[in-house]
Amino acid sequence: MSAEFSQPPVAALRQAVKRRGATLALNGLDLVIRPGQCVALLGPNGAGKSTSVALLTGRLRPDEGEARLFDGDPRDVAARGRMGVMLQEAGLPRTLTVREQVDLFRGYYRKPRPLDEIVRLAGLEGLERRRCGALSGGQQRRVQFALAIAGRPDFLVLDEPTTGMDIDARRGLWTAVRAEIARGAAVLLTTHHLDEAEALADRIVVIDHGQVIADGSPEAIKSRVSAVAVRCRTRLSDAELAGLARVTGVSREGGRITLLTTSAPATLRELLARDETVDDLTVAGASLEDAVTRLVQASAPAPKNAQSQVEVA
Amino acid sequence: MHTLLVYVREARAQIVSTWHTPQFLIPSVALPLLFYGVMGLGLSKGREEIAHMMLANYVIFAAIAPAMFGFGAAVAAEREAKLIELKQIAPLPAGGYLAGRLAAALALVASAIGLLGVLAYFGGVVMVPWRWAATLGLGLASAVPFALIGLNIGLRLGSQGATAVANLLFLGFCLFGGLWMPLSLMPGWVAKIAEVTPSYHLGQLSMMLSGMAPMADVQRHVSVLAAISLAAMIGAWAGWRRQTA
Repeated sequence: MSAEFSQPPVAALRQAVKRRGATLALNGLDLVIRPGQCVALLGPNGAGKSTSVALLTGRLRPDEGEARLFDGDPRDVAARGRMGVMLQEAGLPRTLTVREQVDLFRGYYRKPRPLDEIVRLAGLEGLERRRCGALSGGQQRRVQFALAIAGRPDFLVLDEPTTGMDIDARRGLWTAVRAEIARGAAVLLTTHHLDEAEALADRIVVIDHGQVIADGSPEAIKSRVSAVAVRCRTRLSDAELAGLARVTGVSREGGRITLLTTSAPATLRELLARDETVDDLTVAGASLEDAVTRLVQASAPAPKNAQSQVEVA
Repeated sequence: MHTLLVYVREARAQIVSTWHTPQFLIPSVALPLLFYGVMGLGLSKGREEIAHMMLANYVIFAAIAPAMFGFGAAVAAEREAKLIELKQIAPLPAGGYLAGRLAAALALVASAIGLLGVLAYFGGVVMVPWRWAATLGLGLASAVPFALIGLNIGLRLGSQGATAVANLLFLGFCLFGGLWMPLSLMPGWVAKIAEVTPSYHLGQLSMMLSGMAPMADVQRHVSVLAAISLAAMIGAWAGWRRQTA
């Protein structure tokens, strides 16, 4: 861990400010990505995720503050040569074959991966001779991933990588991303799927209104919302349930109730003592999605916003 | 060396991509050939000077469509598909993408003009070798201003708008530049419009180089063309920069 921190960061935004039209997309954002880290960047739509990616990849320049990539300017070709990027909604030339397009991107890098290796890692076997325009959405995403890893990058940026993929393809991509992390690559991941962030990332950064509102391991983020969900069937009434030790919330769905508690053992001891017919009992930690939603709601400036449904990530 | 290779690969990929698009390739090469074959050679049988004069104009005509559409409107489509974004992020030297596209457009123009030259040669047009080289060479060079104009359109409009505007300009350049019909056969106001089209000045130079008109006003024609190219280059540069503001 200490050796990790002595190395220069892979990528960094320092006090980055970026205006896009009338809105302030980034408002003094700080984000440092260290070698070997897999960072998931989460936040509601318009929080500044895409702008952060655009600054780190050199596509946009910060109005104030700075963006650094491998201790250089992200606009320098040399710094970008160590980075691979999979953009959200990026297109492919319809008239080039998968092999031609991947080979073209290999050529941009000084020490590219062998073509066969890229094709295998991205799960594109058998599609090499197909035109990019004839591929399905999920297959096109895999080609985008192939382009991102073509240069054996030290920093992999994945912007909504599994949009449009079926479950098998997602799992396949996760395996490939884990292999890149194991190889020592740092990863910046933005995603709408919290399970994806949980499966891949060792660090979660939640941003909203252009600022970081939470930063830590997935476990640390979840513990920020100190709630555990107890679900069961019981004959106790809502009022009785609400009176149990440490209970912070009660809800009913069908025949099952959900108790939110700050201490599952304390609540369970009382629940089981009062009602010996308790059945179908499960205890689960607050999900990452639950935690992130609450963090974003808590940071919302107006109470009116906190009431409305906040879409996470 | 690496940088140079990247440029070469980018150009090759663009050429391959164009080659894979016969619906673009065939009309842009075949149309000038067909027009020239029918009107330049077929209808002017026995009057070689007309075929000769038309060749001088058609080498410019053949350059406009591939340059403006292949280079201009196609950029709009790729911009819409967010293809350019990825290229701007990839470790590709600045301008590598545009250089590749320009090379592909020039390759297409070269093949169209080359075939036009072959057709004219066998159709009876007679020139000394340097005039052949100068006429066809000017046609190839004329792709540059048209490509820059096309790029201005492609960087500023959506793909549908870009195609429409490029079409309009293409027809305007051909008609008002006097490439299809001599300006002397058209009303006087057309000649005034012709003055601001690159096609008119290129056509005039082409006539001189192919020996169908005496050398005159060369400096003025070249100056106007240089001014148009420079303005288009600045406009394209500004449009390209605006995307990464």
